[in-house]
Amino acid sequence: MSALDQPQVEASLEILLRDVQPRLKVLFARYRIPPQDTEDIVQQALLALIYQRQAIRDPVAWMMGTIRNKCLLYWREQRRKLYDAVDAAVLEFMAEPTAPDQEEADLRRDLTHAIEQLPERCRSLLSLRYSQGYEAPELAERMGYSPSSINKITTRCLAALTRHLVASGILCEENRS
Amino acid sequence: MTDHPTPDALEQFILGQLSTAETREIAFHLLNGCPHCQQATSTLWEPADSFEDPTILDVICQEEDEASADGYDAVLDRVFDKVAATEAAFAAQRFQAGALLAELVQVPAERQHLLVTNSQRFRSRALCDLLVEESHETGFQDPRRAVELASLALLLVDRLTAADCGGEDVHESLRARVWAQLGNAHRIHSNLNEAEEALAVAQELLAAGGVSLFDRARVLALLASLRRAQEQFAEALRLFDRVAGIYKKLGQWNLMGRTLLQKSLVCGEAGDIEAEMSLLRRALDLIDPQNDPRLFLAARHNLIHALNESGRSREAFALLFHSRPLYLKMGDRMNLLKLRWVEGLVAAGLHRHDQAEAAFREVREAYAGLGLDYDAALASLDLAGIYVAQGRTADLLRVTEETVAVFQSRSTHREALAAVLALCGAARQEEAGAGLVRQVSEFLKRARNNPNLQFSANP
Repeated sequence: MSALDQPQVEASLEILLRDVQPRLKVLFARYRIPPQDTEDIVQQALLALIYQRQAIRDPVAWMMGTIRNKCLLYWREQRRKLYDAVDAAVLEFMAEPTAPDQEEADLRRDLTHAIEQLPERCRSLLSLRYSQGYEAPELAERMGYSPSSINKITTRCLAALTRHLVASGILCEENRS
Repeated sequence: MTDHPTPDALEQFILGQLSTAETREIAFHLLNGCPHCQQATSTLWEPADSFEDPTILDVICQEEDEASADGYDAVLDRVFDKVAATEAAFAAQRFQAGALLAELVQVPAERQHLLVTNSQRFRSRALCDLLVEESHETGFQDPRRAVELASLALLLVDRLTAADCGGEDVHESLRARVWAQLGNAHRIHSNLNEAEEALAVAQELLAAGGVSLFDRARVLALLASLRRAQEQFAEALRLFDRVAGIYKKLGQWNLMGRTLLQKSLVCGEAGDIEAEMSLLRRALDLIDPQNDPRLFLAARHNLIHALNESGRSREAFALLFHSRPLYLKMGDRMNLLKLRWVEGLVAAGLHRHDQAEAAFREVREAYAGLGLDYDAALASLDLAGIYVAQGRTADLLRVTEETVAVFQSRSTHREALAAVLALCGAARQEEAGAGLVRQVSEFLKRARNNPNLQFSANP
């Protein structure tokens, strides 16, 4: 690129940004990304666009596709945090040494009931994890999974439990239909 | 818990932003089966579930989106200002990098290594990008230089920091691209083991997760090309499918067209000519002839070739008729030679032997004049096919002996020479048929960038 090309590139970037702004707003709204969390997503995508401008043929489509993918990754990451948080909360609760009062006994029963609603594989895994205190390597050995895959399977089961907690309304609707 | 959590707390819960104690409190509140809060959380949860299928998003009311989108303006304006400033700085860096590259290529290899290793001036991400691009461009013209340039890029990328690159992910993406390009240069240089090693590093970087989707596609495309060279066709096809999927996701239709074109080559080599033609037609629908006329012509050229190979020479002739202006528009010597060659092939397919012979002779002499002996040999074999069809055994023997002599004088790789010698031997015994000519021709095409292939004539 010669120095003479520079203003043209800047102008085209400005046009591109102006063109893409309304569509980005709609995209973020659709994906329900909180405004404060969009800054990193947009910045990373735009910098990648600048660095790879030569290789990219349709910058607007590229931007929209890249940001859509980043929105998915954003939610995957948020969900992972939520699963971890729910898991930590349940583990902490189950590990409490004191004799449970009525309220805690009810909670334990509700938790057991929630786990019973999950697929068989998740029922076994979460029961061993929460009732028996099994760690990942022991779970892998006991359930016949490889040590490398047990974390993935545990995450899927935590996802199923969390989904049951937060979206049981949806599940009931789905089951009814 | 008797009180309901606030809507904000529920939202933060869904975003995984609460402490363990707060998470526990809300999780157990939901566990109790509070219908009010479960309704609220399911509303927050539901859209994200539909994200995996983008078509579902299209049915969401547009007005609702736009009404709730106004909160993004301030953030987007701020980022756009920042990026516009970075863009100007990057353009300047790229300009400087061009000068650095020009300086670098003028000094001997040892000095290049010293400069890249020790000089702060050369510690530039833009220079690293340029080295990768230059290595890619140089590719088939000068494979050794392509390896050297990619090796310099590797030396450089290891000295760059995440801050030099604008972030850890950008650095990881660049690193993956450098390793992949090094592997690609080795592949073109016929060092398949070195290519495998370099691309294995690139794959490890992909597995680590920091590499951007676009760079992931570029790395996987180069890996697929290696699998094609290794004749692991099923794996090559699987990888090209992944690449095409990424480009589709990113709306890069032209690049998706290029990927389908690459995939069609694998099908052709695997002997699935119908799949090859189908992919080429899809590629032609996606490639923009205005923006990428060379790529469009390459796909057309391959389709003409495939139609002719599959015995549909009349269709090939018709497509060639419509494509001739594209070759002429390109106007460069190599494309005009490709045109003349494919004219010969289609004429041969239509049994117009005199026209075919004239075209193959012209092409052979032109390539020989340019010093492109391997292409001249391939044209000679097409000429040999005409002689076989016409029963001209003396001409057949002469053309095969000439090819052997050229290969011997140019130290062409052993297996290619062995294949041509086998044909020459059969011609001497007057036993060379169309099948053997075809086998040798096909072998030479496959062995061109893979001298490790071994020739064995099938009866």
